[in-house]
Amino acid sequence: MFKVMLKKEILQIISSNKFAISFAVCSILILLTFFVGANSYLLSRDQYEAAVQENIRGMDGITDWRMINHRIFLPPQPLAALVNGISNDIGRNINMEGMGELRAHDSKYNEDPIYAAFRFLDLNFIFQIILSLFAVLLLYNAINGEKELGTLRLTFSNSVSRSQYILSKIVGSFSAIIIPLLIPIAIGFILLPLMGVPMTSTDWISLLGIIFSGVLYFSVFLTLSIFISASTAKSSTSFLVLLIVWIASVIVIPRASILISGRLVDVPSVDEINSKKSHYMRQISGETLSAMGNFKPTSNNDIMREFNEFMDEINTERDEKVTKFNSQVNQERRNAQMEQEKLALNLSRVSPASSFYLISSSFAGTSMELEKNYHEQAKAYQKVFADFQREKEGMTTGGGMMFIVRKAGVEENPIDPSELPEFVFKPPSLESRINSALPDLGILFVYNFIFFLVGYVKFLKFDLR
Amino acid sequence: MDSNIENNNKKPILEAINLSKRYEDNALALDNVSFTIHPGEIFAMLGGNGAGKTTTINLFLNLIEPTSGDCKIDGVSCVSKPLEAKKKVAYVSENVMLYPDFTAMQNLDFFIKLGGRMNLSKDEYKSVLKRVGLQEDAFNKKLKGFSKGMRQKCGIAISILKDAPAILLDEPTSGLDPKAGAEFVNLLKELKKEGKAILMSTHDIFRAKDVADTIGIMNKGQLVMKKKQSEIHNEDLEQLYIKYMAGYMENAA
Ligand SMILES: Nc1ncnc2c1ncn2[C@@H]1O[C@H](COP(=O)(O)OP(=O)(O)OP(=O)(O)O)[C@@H](O)[C@H]1O
Ligand SMILES: [Mg+2]
Repeated sequence: MFKVMLKKEILQIISSNKFAISFAVCSILILLTFFVGANSYLLSRDQYEAAVQENIRGMDGITDWRMINHRIFLPPQPLAALVNGISNDIGRNINMEGMGELRAHDSKYNEDPIYAAFRFLDLNFIFQIILSLFAVLLLYNAINGEKELGTLRLTFSNSVSRSQYILSKIVGSFSAIIIPLLIPIAIGFILLPLMGVPMTSTDWISLLGIIFSGVLYFSVFLTLSIFISASTAKSSTSFLVLLIVWIASVIVIPRASILISGRLVDVPSVDEINSKKSHYMRQISGETLSAMGNFKPTSNNDIMREFNEFMDEINTERDEKVTKFNSQVNQERRNAQMEQEKLALNLSRVSPASSFYLISSSFAGTSMELEKNYHEQAKAYQKVFADFQREKEGMTTGGGMMFIVRKAGVEENPIDPSELPEFVFKPPSLESRINSALPDLGILFVYNFIFFLVGYVKFLKFDLR
Repeated sequence: MDSNIENNNKKPILEAINLSKRYEDNALALDNVSFTIHPGEIFAMLGGNGAGKTTTINLFLNLIEPTSGDCKIDGVSCVSKPLEAKKKVAYVSENVMLYPDFTAMQNLDFFIKLGGRMNLSKDEYKSVLKRVGLQEDAFNKKLKGFSKGMRQKCGIAISILKDAPAILLDEPTSGLDPKAGAEFVNLLKELKKEGKAILMSTHDIFRAKDVADTIGIMNKGQLVMKKKQSEIHNEDLEQLYIKYMAGYMENAA
């Protein structure tokens, strides 16, 4: 009997016009996402490679490692093109000096505003908005619609148990919607290597993780729709209720939680921080200037070299102080920010849409962590770069005052840019992605379980007439 | 006279035993109703709107629980063993809708399998659809284009194919055109010959008199009249009905 009802459930959904339209729209959007995503990844990779080469080429003919204008770049990641997260919002380029604070510039949206206009087209959008909406549209009348049709009475004039019926309803509608959608997703998967997107095994597993969590998220709205449909007598009522819940969870709660946490936790603005920093900088620069008075050359033939070494020492000392102060100020801000973020995240987790966003961006490596990771790796590279400059020229850049002397008539050898240590960005490991996705995966499981259970219980008491 | 009506020592198929139903809002929709229907017997329930006809049928289908009393199908209680009882009953609802995105054949296929008959052939479906008078070009069309009468015919076909000993019909002729109505009466007679016990609610006095073996008139939840066809053979059923309805009006006033 279960099989008969399951088959009917699947047939009923896939033979409706509602489904045909939703399926077509979804398939097109999914294929488009993979296609546009792959294209945009390849484009960004070309741009990235060109920028890296341009950076090296800019060092042509330079004879002193302190004279180079070195920049590092955040390399594009294939999954970031499929689940954007914050990857397009954060700065990708950092001017590298051996000392001082690092600032990332030029986000993708900054450079190519056109992308900002198309920011919606990613897997996250498709699952979070489109698919959840389809679950609601296709299933808001799953139970009470059958009552309105009179098919519920006719069904239960047979020897059918309620629990079999509701189980076949849930399993059937899930299979009817998800299995067809796996087709465009599979094509998308094939499209990636075909279009030349290099996917590592971590990428593949993460992508599977994204799809899995998307299905889990979809199933939250499926069980929710069936639960609401079994709790109301009229399909017009359940439609209204579901629409309100959908808007709240997909649109209102994620934004509201940011607003609320912004109210509750005060974070000093960047301007505030910067003026604090520059105030300290002015103060300490005065000290540096007076320290310069203490320079006493020991010999006459290489005064400049001695002076530079002297200055490097002062600068290093000063940089240490400034860095310490800055990082302290930054840390204070960062702490407040983290508290705010944490609060916002926890508040937003009331909505499964937020949980799904957090999971998918964690898997894609485009969560909030990306900015932090990039910054930390850039800072680690800064040390390597500073050591390299010191080794080559006896001092590093970024400290402020510096004299470079060329001896007249002496032919200086140009630097060899290939000696420059390379900046290699390491995306998060699979393990760390899974770990940061786990709590929200748990939340989605709980939502599924609760809605399934209350839907089931509600139907056992549903008025069948 | 039909021999099987008189045959009271045969086991009844449909039994209502002091059946009462009070809804949550305290309306007594059914008040101590008892009747039995034997194999090959048609029981027609007449009565105004809200008299309790659908409530009676809902109790047999266990769509609602009785406040007191019991009802049985082929000796099985619909209250304590509904799943077993429902194996033995076919049902046509007041306003058959079925699945609008399924064809007639698909609707039939689903509900017949649900009724437990898994191995019927497409030809058997078709021959029954023909028997209830559905035009052949509609067999494979989606139900959403069907008229009320066409849907009704599909519903009747489903109930026939279930081949259960008891049949519950809630205003089965509403929506049927005169020709289809007459054909349906013939169909009922055939089912009766096959030995089915049929409970039918209807507003059609004349057809009831034509086809039913027993006629009951319901009034405010009570079975105020129950007579064998032979007893009212010579009476004007319409006059009888109006008489009982007049009583109803007085009671209501
Ligand atoms: N869910 C319900 N809650 C409360 N009262 C109900 C409910 N369903 C039916 N009733 C009441 O029970 C009584 C009998 O209703 P029922 O549907 O059995 O009438 P009926 O004889 O089938 O009428 P009709 O000829 O209009 O189909 C009516 O007074 C009706 O108002
Ligand atoms: Mg009725």
